[in-house]
Amino acid sequence: MKAYTADRTFNAVNFIILLVATLACLAPFIHIFAVSLSSPGAITSGKVSLLPVELNFEAYSKVFSNAAMIRSLGFTIWLTLLTTTLCMLMTIAIGYPLSKKKLKGRKWIMLLVVITMFFSGGIIPEYILIKNLNFLDTIWALVLPGLINPFYLIILVSFFNNIPESLEESAEIDGSSHFRTLLSIMLPLSMPVIATLSLFYAVARWNGFQDTLMYITKPELYPLQLKLYQMIQNNMITDLLQNEGSQITTMVPEGLKAASVIFATVPILIVYPWLQRYFVSGVMLGAVKG
Amino acid sequence: MNGKKRKAWTKKGSVVALILACAMVFGACSSNSGGSSEPSSSGNGGEKPSKRVTLKVEVFDRGNSPAGATITNNYLTNYVQKSFGDPNNIDVEFVPVPRSEEVEKLNVLMASGSNVPDIVFTYDPNTFNRYAKQQGLTDVGPLLDEHGKKLKEFIGEDLMAYGKYDGVQYAIPAKRANIGKYASFIREDWLKTLGMELPQTTEELYEVLKAFKEKDPGKTGGQVIPMGMTIANAQFEPLLWSFIKPMTDEQKYTLTQQLGSNDYPILLPGFKDGLLFMNKLFNEGLMSKDFGLDNDKKKLGEDVSNGKVGFFSEDDINPFYENLMYDLLQTNVPGAKLTPIDAFTNEEGKHPKPLYAANGMYIMIPKSSERAVEAVKYLEWMVSDDHLFHIQNGVENENYKLVDGIAVAMDDQPQDVLDRLYNSGDMGIISNGKQLGSQEKNLKARAMQMPSKFFAEVEAAQNIALTDGIEPLLMSRPIEAQTKYATTLKDKFNEIIVKTTMAKPDQFESMYESLMKDYMASGGQAILDERIEVYKEMQSK
Amino acid sequence: MRTTSYLLRYWQLYALLLLPVSYFLIFRYGPMYGIQIAFKDFNFFQGIGGSEWIGLEAFKEVFAMKDFYLTLRNTLMLNFLDLLVSFPAPLFLAILLYEMKILWFKKLSQTILYIPHFISWIIIGGIVYQVFGTQSGMINNVITGLGFDAIPFLTSKNEWLITYLLVGVWQSAGWGTIIYLAALTGINKELFEAAGIDGAGRLKQIWHITLPGLRSTIVVLLIINLGHMITIGFDRPFVIGNLAVREYADVLSTFVYRVGIQSGQYTLATVVGLFQAVVGLIFVLGANYTSKKLTDEGIM
Repeated sequence: MKAYTADRTFNAVNFIILLVATLACLAPFIHIFAVSLSSPGAITSGKVSLLPVELNFEAYSKVFSNAAMIRSLGFTIWLTLLTTTLCMLMTIAIGYPLSKKKLKGRKWIMLLVVITMFFSGGIIPEYILIKNLNFLDTIWALVLPGLINPFYLIILVSFFNNIPESLEESAEIDGSSHFRTLLSIMLPLSMPVIATLSLFYAVARWNGFQDTLMYITKPELYPLQLKLYQMIQNNMITDLLQNEGSQITTMVPEGLKAASVIFATVPILIVYPWLQRYFVSGVMLGAVKG
Repeated sequence: MNGKKRKAWTKKGSVVALILACAMVFGACSSNSGGSSEPSSSGNGGEKPSKRVTLKVEVFDRGNSPAGATITNNYLTNYVQKSFGDPNNIDVEFVPVPRSEEVEKLNVLMASGSNVPDIVFTYDPNTFNRYAKQQGLTDVGPLLDEHGKKLKEFIGEDLMAYGKYDGVQYAIPAKRANIGKYASFIREDWLKTLGMELPQTTEELYEVLKAFKEKDPGKTGGQVIPMGMTIANAQFEPLLWSFIKPMTDEQKYTLTQQLGSNDYPILLPGFKDGLLFMNKLFNEGLMSKDFGLDNDKKKLGEDVSNGKVGFFSEDDINPFYENLMYDLLQTNVPGAKLTPIDAFTNEEGKHPKPLYAANGMYIMIPKSSERAVEAVKYLEWMVSDDHLFHIQNGVENENYKLVDGIAVAMDDQPQDVLDRLYNSGDMGIISNGKQLGSQEKNLKARAMQMPSKFFAEVEAAQNIALTDGIEPLLMSRPIEAQTKYATTLKDKFNEIIVKTTMAKPDQFESMYESLMKDYMASGGQAILDERIEVYKEMQSK
Repeated sequence: MRTTSYLLRYWQLYALLLLPVSYFLIFRYGPMYGIQIAFKDFNFFQGIGGSEWIGLEAFKEVFAMKDFYLTLRNTLMLNFLDLLVSFPAPLFLAILLYEMKILWFKKLSQTILYIPHFISWIIIGGIVYQVFGTQSGMINNVITGLGFDAIPFLTSKNEWLITYLLVGVWQSAGWGTIIYLAALTGINKELFEAAGIDGAGRLKQIWHITLPGLRSTIVVLLIINLGHMITIGFDRPFVIGNLAVREYADVLSTFVYRVGIQSGQYTLATVVGLFQAVVGLIFVLGANYTSKKLTDEGIM
């Protein structure tokens, strides 16, 4: 059986490639994990690679006993949930009409959107806007400016466009309103892309901290990534530190940094496996048949 | 701020509100223009503040607040409020600025015209010059005369000159307790193994490095790095400056290029010889191969602690911190001995190396501030009585004990007592380092902060740092081209070091030529021209 | 009459658009008056409105800088190489994952492959140094251990390009598969069964069924990628780059950071940004137009 052998070869090659890629992606994470469990001396001497050296849990006990870290985790989860929900609502609200080829003015609105992928006012007017809206030091400064990502919007529209028009038309003949068509036909058929874009929004919000540097000064509104960034950055700015003279004492130990990285990364990492349930093939097929 | 409005926002979010907001925004942007920069006359009078006012003070946020404290609410901020704020009817509000985005954030705050703290500061002279040039700062001269007698005395007249721009006192320079920068260190135990003496000159050092390479006294198995090098100033500056030839005053003032806080010798006679020497060391395998990648000294730290490095230069006391270089080296390589030396010599047999400028950061009061008087009073309070001492040292018999007038940190402080001072360096803005009245005492206090087993080495390194030190030059007026091109040129300077050092010996010349040309065209020439002009002015005065 | 019936039919869609369009007007277009900074001598204390007009002075200054052209060339070069290497990588990986029949392994590797996306660039930079360093990098330790000469992965121009690309693929490929995997759920499985009965091999099935199913996603991503040929993220070239390879690693974003932001010259930063925006928009519209003509697929 020639075809059978070819199939097996394909599977084997596939397995090997994926295995190598997977290991390559896993190794650095394991390294960070190993650092978080090693003694400060072993880390600074560069002895840690993939296994902890002189195992110790001090870094984790520090992270978990720091009430500010735990509070920050809570805030980050809330911020991410809120942002993702609002972003998806807004993106769907604009994406659905824009997928209707018959809608007048559609192209102009799309152009309006595409322009914002390239042109922006810059950091200073954006700051002034947030200030004038009284959003400084509020959660809204972190939620509202990024409500719709033009790139994600375009992806959504392209998916909507791929849904057979016959489905929508049949709904319209049934006298269903646009709202109902959206809710009962388009959305259920688009679960994979909605899950994907939700993940994109959630991860972008979870990992983003540049806006918090500018808009937030209240420590209770610090997301995890900002704290992490400060910790990491602390040890990096030698040009600046040099002028300060000897302030090496303010450095954050490497082990604590690594433990914080793990602490701040694992919660968002587990979102995807959870979302995978929505990546079921053949959803659309069933609908077309039904 | 505006609590009511914010509440309304969170509740509504309707279309109408958004459109209103839109109008508000567009309205605001057109009116924003001049309003913010109007000098305020109201707050600058001398009348006693009758109603409670708020003084906003910038504070660096390094994200290292211990449990139970925040950067705006901790032991020291409470101390400031109780001891300075309450008696003067002032609420002191600290405005955190991320340490690494210091200048960017300050720029945005300034440009947005409000929320600007009444006291801001930066280590970057270019930022200070830019703000002064753009007319954004309060002239603190008259205010100091009226409200800052002790402050002026504390800083001293010479130092005050650093805060002047075109003769106007636009900033109050903080005072630096110690101006020594660099020392060099060698593995004395390696020398002993080889039967060699501590090298006293650059030539002797070169022989030692070669011996380190050939005989590998540390038995590193071929991994020996005779000279540890990075692309951070502390590692290459002592070497390069020792190649600079004696100069006239004119040469010194015109050919030096100040990029950021440091003076760079790129146009000084002898600089090229320094590069040639680095090139030689590199090509003979006597120097870290990846030094061009190590801009945070992390690799150097690793290599030293693992006993691979024979010799290196570094900030004088940095190798001696607990759990860092030397401390780790002793654990990893029992019997290792790291000794401070002053190996690089110039043609006169001296050991020239750069010093810090006598000032620390530039403390400024924006022109838009209505609390300029209170701001000066705050700084005046800080240098009065023992406030600065308290901020730097904490509470007697809890944080420190007095030994010969020097506050020595107590061992075994409980964590919460120790945490009181986690941000003391950033709160005592008026001084960089502990001030005890004399250089000698300051240095001793500094040495006593280090692990006591290294006390002798630290003292030796501090002395080396001050030996034949070169003070940064102060021009009579700021060099505009420096403000403009410094960041670009600093990068190009480092590029020159990396590339000429790593070049094959026969390519050194052409590499050097083309990179220098690029450097001069990218602003180096503009700086040179302007410095010549200013020097002429200085001479004619 | 026709208008009325049109509105009756479509008012709901316009109602849906109301909030999102207001969002774009307020948060995206509201701050755009900041673009005028490019034509002004920006003074922090005068603000945007109060600074003086200088016409095209700043454009002349930027276009006279040698580094501008160097960084422009590098930006285009690195993006072009990424288009050749990093753009197809997630597609390739997604197909492999789709074809993976061992379900537990498929799920596991899918989850692990996108981990690098979550590690910040600063940390990646440290790891890259440990792995690719010349003196004691892990790879070179092996190479020298075998008796060969160390390869300067980071400090020699051409080797650096390869490192840059590899790290880019490693960091983004897994993450990039997600969107393709979502698109693949739309493919009718019966097509494969039919093809299997017809005796088509796996590669043939991929070519005739899987890839066409991804066509519109690929086109959309490609168009957007082309639009961003002249913009480049800051972190990757900054973190992996170093002074020894500056003639390849210095790009527009690092140039703007150095000359515009760090040096407080917001006017110059805005000029470069505006230049990139105009070129980017032309690219994306051009790519969209061409694609519409050729494949009838596009983003608008």
